[in-house]
Formats: sequence, C-alpha cells, structure tokens
Amino acid sequence: MNLVHLFAADPAETHHWLLPETAEIIYGGIASVLVIGALVKFALPQFKKALTARTERIQKELDASANDLSQAQADASKIRTALGDIASEKARLLSDAQAQADALLKEGRARLTAEIAELEAKADADIAAAAARGSDELRTEIGRLAGTATDRALASVLDDATQQQLVENFIAKVGASR
Amino acid sequence: MSDARIDGYARALFEIAAAEGTLDEVEDELFRFARSFESNDQLRNTLTDELIPADKRQAIVESLLGGKATATTTQLVGMVVGSGRGRDLPAIIDKLVQRASSAKQLEVAEVRSAVALSADQQARLKAALTNATGKQLNLKVVVDPSVLGGLVATVGDTVIDGSVRTRLDNVKSRL
Repeated sequence: MNLVHLFAADPAETHHWLLPETAEIIYGGIASVLVIGALVKFALPQFKKALTARTERIQKELDASANDLSQAQADASKIRTALGDIASEKARLLSDAQAQADALLKEGRARLTAEIAELEAKADADIAAAAARGSDELRTEIGRLAGTATDRALASVLDDATQQQLVENFIAKVGASR
Repeated sequence: MSDARIDGYARALFEIAAAEGTLDEVEDELFRFARSFESNDQLRNTLTDELIPADKRQAIVESLLGGKATATTTQLVGMVVGSGRGRDLPAIIDKLVQRASSAKQLEVAEVRSAVALSADQQARLKAALTNATGKQLNLKVVVDPSVLGGLVATVGDTVIDGSVRTRLDNVKSRL
C-alpha cells in the first residue's frame, strides 16, 4: 500500500489506519516476546560462544605472531651472532695464515742463509785446499827437481879422493864416538 | 820358507864350508853374493824363475861365480838355486854368517860403502866399530853404489849412517 492510499483511507473504518488490531498487538507482542526469549535463550549463548571463540582465536593468532616475532628476532640475533663469528673466524684464519706464512718465510730465509753460509764455507775450504794442494805439488816438484839436480851435481863432485875422504871421516868419527 | 828350513839349509852350508876348511872365505863370498842378489832384480828374477830348468839356473850361477869365487861357494849357491830355494838365498846366507860369527864369538857388522875399501881401511873401520860398540865384530863390507858416498854400518840393531845418500834424502825431504 502506498502513501496515497494510506492517507486516503476512510476514517470511518473501525480500526486505525496506522495501528493494528488489538488482538494482533497482543498476539504479535506475545510472539515477539517468545521470539526474543528464544533468541536470548538459544541464540545469545551461541553468539557469545562464537565471539569468545573468535576472541580466543584472534588472541592465539596474536600470541603466535608474537612468538613468531620473538623467534624471528632470536633467529636474527643468532644470524647476527653467527655473522660476527664468521667474521672473527675469518680474521683468525687470516691471522693464522699470515703467522704461518711469516714463520715459513722466516724459516726459509734462515735456511737459505745457512745454506749460503755453508756453500761459502765449502767454497772457501775448496779454494784453500786447492791452493794448499797446488802449493804442495809445487813444493814436491821443486824438491824433485832439486834432488835430481843434486844427484847430477854429486856425481861430478864425488870423485875418488872425495869418496876416500868420506870413508876416512866416517872411520875417524866412529872411532872417536866412544 | 819356514825358519826351520832356512836354519836347516844354513846349518848344512856351514858344515860343508867348515869341513872344507874354507869357512871364512866362503862365508865372505856368500855374504857379498847375497847382497848382490838382493840389489839386482834381473839376477834375482832369473835365479828364482821356476820356468827355467834347475840345471840352467845352476849353469848361470857357475858362469857368474866360476873363477871369481871358491868352488865351494859356487857349488853351495848352485845347490840352493837348483833346489828351488833361490828366493830364500839371502836369508839362508845371513843365517850362515850369523852361525859362523857366533862360532867365533863375533857379531856381524855389515858395512855398505859406495867404493871398495882397502884392507887397511877395513882394519881401521873394524877397530873403530869395535871401539864404538864394545863388541868383537865379523866385518862384512858390501859395495853399494846407492850409498853414493860415505858408509852405513849395521851392528845388530844399531845403525851408524854416514852416507851421502841419507844426507841427501834429508835435504830432499826438507825441500
């Protein structure tokens, strides 16, 4: 029914154009009370329960999120720590490698120095030995030549008179020795 | 050769020479032959060569000593060489000389000289060595050109060296 019809209604009619019949009000009121009561009785607990469950679920999700956040922060901290450890381990390894390289270099230098000194000493000894050998050989050769020359000179010097003189000298020397 | 065998040969030669009554002469000749045998490689190699028949070696001895030494000396050397004991000839003769000297209560004095010594020189040398060592000596003179000049006398373990060779060797070693 539209507004035209509503305002055009006959005022002589028994029931009000706006208000329902009394009985309808009663019946409607009772029905409304029953419906509302049923709703309060049955629907409201379910609604409250649903709200509570939803609240709990949301709280759980919030708690889980907080836990996840905390876990993430802990993991981040661990990662940062691990990164720090890796950096310090890297530094330690580099330091060790540098120390070992320094030690090897030092040892190598020392060994090289010792070997050079040994080679120099050996070379000096070889040179000295060669010089001594050359000197000995020269001395031996001089002695041999001098001996040969002396033998030849003696052959001409030791004539019979000299031989006899040597014999007489020996006899005289032995005879006077006691 | 063992010392016992050398002694055996020496004793046999000594008995033969003594029986012949020419011990002094034979002893002296053998001594000089032994020294020549030692110093002459060719003579030593020839008389000790087992590939040369014994009679050939004895013939060589005969040609070397015949007319220059007594027959006894020549026969004794020929006997030793012929029996294949030529290598031990100097040792056998030295034993013989020692035995002969001991029989006369004398000690052997070996003298090496570059030149031959006169009888007078030998007598004076023997007297000088006797005076120096205090022993009665059986003087054996060997002419050894390697001495060059002067004398080397050996009496037992005592050596009196007045040779030019030794002085020359000393000078050479100092050089």
